[in-house]
Amino acid sequence: MALNSVAFGEPTRRTKVLTAPSFSVGAIVRHAIELFAYRDLLYTLTLHRFSVRYKQSLLGPAWAVVQPLSLMAIYTIIFSLFTRIPTNGLPYAVFVYSALLLWTFFSTAVTTSANSLVSHTQLISKVYFPREILPITYVNAALVDLLIASLILGCLMAYYRVHVTSNLLYVIPIVLLAVVFTTAASLLVAAIQVRFRDIGLAMPLLLQLWMFASPVVYPLSAVPPRFKAVYLLNPMAGIIEDFRRALLQGAAPEPGTLRNAIIISCIALPLAYAWFKNREATMVDVI
Amino acid sequence: MLDVEFHHVSKMYRIRKDNHPTGFYDRVVHAVRPPSTVFWALQDVSFSVERGEALGIIGQNGAGKSTVLKLLSNITTPSSGEIRIRGRIALLLEVGSGFHPELTGRENVFLSGSILGMRRAEIARKMELIIDFAEIRDFIDVPVKRYSSGMYVRLGFAIAAHLEADILLLDEVLAVGDAAFQRKCLERAADMRRAGKTIIFISHDLRAVEQLCDRVILMSHGEIVTDGLPEDVIHSYHQQTLQLVQ
Repeated sequence: MALNSVAFGEPTRRTKVLTAPSFSVGAIVRHAIELFAYRDLLYTLTLHRFSVRYKQSLLGPAWAVVQPLSLMAIYTIIFSLFTRIPTNGLPYAVFVYSALLLWTFFSTAVTTSANSLVSHTQLISKVYFPREILPITYVNAALVDLLIASLILGCLMAYYRVHVTSNLLYVIPIVLLAVVFTTAASLLVAAIQVRFRDIGLAMPLLLQLWMFASPVVYPLSAVPPRFKAVYLLNPMAGIIEDFRRALLQGAAPEPGTLRNAIIISCIALPLAYAWFKNREATMVDVI
Repeated sequence: MLDVEFHHVSKMYRIRKDNHPTGFYDRVVHAVRPPSTVFWALQDVSFSVERGEALGIIGQNGAGKSTVLKLLSNITTPSSGEIRIRGRIALLLEVGSGFHPELTGRENVFLSGSILGMRRAEIARKMELIIDFAEIRDFIDVPVKRYSSGMYVRLGFAIAAHLEADILLLDEVLAVGDAAFQRKCLERAADMRRAGKTIIFISHDLRAVEQLCDRVILMSHGEIVTDGLPEDVIHSYHQQTLQLVQ
């Protein structure tokens, strides 16, 4: 919706202009400023995700580790015992766990975001706040899960004596890139779900296919060279591969693998946001 | 100084027909372009509210009162026209809708307060005032699922009443709670009026409207019928109702 804030008369009062929704760069910037003004709500609701999720649960936050850890166990048994997948000399457990860390973040964030608006119908039809806060809190919650689960990764790396170099620092921008892309995808599916519940139903299948289209259980080098250009159109492919390179092989990211991920993520986020805000204006009428 | 301005505001809803086509092709067409009839909840509505004024909006069910409220609180946007709002709006509509049953009263004050646009520091500063106003000191650290409905409403209202707002939007909220609490709410609204706040009160309770407001708008079928002094407008509302009955 077009939300226009200009100083008027007294410095403390702002004039809000509400009109039918429209697309413009100025509008996106104003929405982002408004989101910043609501940062306390973002914080409170993110905390809320945890306090509600772990009510009446024994293991509590340890559940953040259970999913990647159990997947790691099963994939390690299959791909290093039953059949062998080349891992550039890395122990398979730590090889797959590092990728699962990022993948679990992505898939959890997108799955939970898909329902974020629909499950808060009561709230959003009663009071206004920037609706993107709801999907973003689920992305935040998944990010905290990622941080908790990376403690185990640290232990695994120590156990397998993985050699660490200063290139490890590349992990930070790569995770940031993953957050940008995940946020874009989350905004998109959340807004579609309001109108077409199919997206939520398709999500488990879609994510399973997507995981096998990303270098999670196998390395990028296993992909035949002639498919590589198409394969790398998937931003998660470059992100996961280079995350693992920086972490386990102490190597800097390859520009060729990460370029697509950077370009797609940086275009996708503002587009997804603009579209989300456009849908948001009349969301309550169709939810 | 005008605090709220409606300029030729219209709101259209598409009412979907709920027939379910069977074939896949028909279903896709149905989903993308659902057969619908157009319903105008508001048609070319213009009015403004002066700073410090208390405006009441009355009308039959379906007259467009709730749509005005939803537009004012930015829950949905107009289909055409423009709304200008000068200052911060506090909405007292179905209080407690932002509550989570598993969280304690105190946690819910933070949650609900943030949803209403308060900063965390502001909420912490006002916590004691809110607890006192709601009269639930002994239960503030108990999950709200253990609250009686009265306590629920009192806490919800207490949070909204402590918003630092320039414009106060009141809905039928006052209809809930017991008589004593209703009186307290109306007193609070009157206090805010004396403090120079602008008030918009949307209600069926004509007595409360007459008591609180200095101007009333009567709406019918998405349009403004009369706009004037409370006793005059309420009189014409009664006549309208009589005509409907006969």
